[in-house]
Amino acid sequence: MMSESEPSAKHKLVEFKVDRVIHEASTDTRILVLTRVESPNDTFPIWVGAAEGSAIKLAMDTMVTPRPMSHDLIKSFLEHLGVAVRRIVITDVKSSTYYATVYLENKGVERTIDARPSDAISLALRAPCPIYITQDVLARRSNDNLDAWLAKMESKNLGTPEVQET
Amino acid sequence: MIMQMHLKGLMFDPYNNAYIVILREEDRSEMLPIWVGKAEAGSISLALENVAPPRPMTHDFMKSVLDVYDAKVISVVITDLSENTYFAKIHMTYEDSEYTVDARPSDAIALALRCNAPIFASETVIRKQNTEELEQWLENLKPEDFGKLDS
Repeated sequence: MMSESEPSAKHKLVEFKVDRVIHEASTDTRILVLTRVESPNDTFPIWVGAAEGSAIKLAMDTMVTPRPMSHDLIKSFLEHLGVAVRRIVITDVKSSTYYATVYLENKGVERTIDARPSDAISLALRAPCPIYITQDVLARRSNDNLDAWLAKMESKNLGTPEVQET
Repeated sequence: MIMQMHLKGLMFDPYNNAYIVILREEDRSEMLPIWVGKAEAGSISLALENVAPPRPMTHDFMKSVLDVYDAKVISVVITDLSENTYFAKIHMTYEDSEYTVDARPSDAIALALRCNAPIFASETVIRKQNTEELEQWLENLKPEDFGKLDS
């Protein structure tokens, strides 16, 4: 009984939303903070590059840039192909690196494409479509003292324009 | 009138803290420098070196989207230059129809290199940009400015 129910529980999807993008000044990376839709105190951070962080921030701020950014271009391609982005799922984590899958639908047929979480989330915000993390990935994250660390990070960055408060 | 361009180089511009993609027209030796950001330069560099990154980069993901639906990139064209900003168009075919999509030249070039699609520039763009200005800029470069790309 247990062994039968385990795989489905492992692949159960939990919905998250992008809460903010934090500028990590010491390494010039960005921390993308996702929060669980059903319990906003449950946070899930993902480290991304500066360019990836700004692509996500532009989408969060619904900024319209004079020229299409990379993910606007992907959205534009999908529109021409008549393809809808249904959802994106963070499916795996291997040595602190997350992997994501983008679910596309065209004429009732679903197709999946592997992506980095930053690309998947950038596209999800522009689509827009829901963002999920598998139960398995949530169980395997190692966030010892993460909340304390995040609090410290944010108090340090408080007031700087890079901090996105929503 | 459009001319086919070849990617001749990618270099760091220490004065503007940006990268320059140099496109060149073979027969008439016309040069077209295009300033791009660090991430875009990194993506173009990966395509030039034919390096497959462990996880798909943005333009690899972009190509996957087109590949899954059997959409083909026919060509990319640098179409316009206005206030030091270049504009590009990507021509593609999907299910017997042709589509044109607006893009930044950096995305268009990064995608063209991955799809083995030719890169063109309109004659107007080449006429508008002042090649002399680039030559002067190149003359002022010091050997140490030619660093290796770090991404």
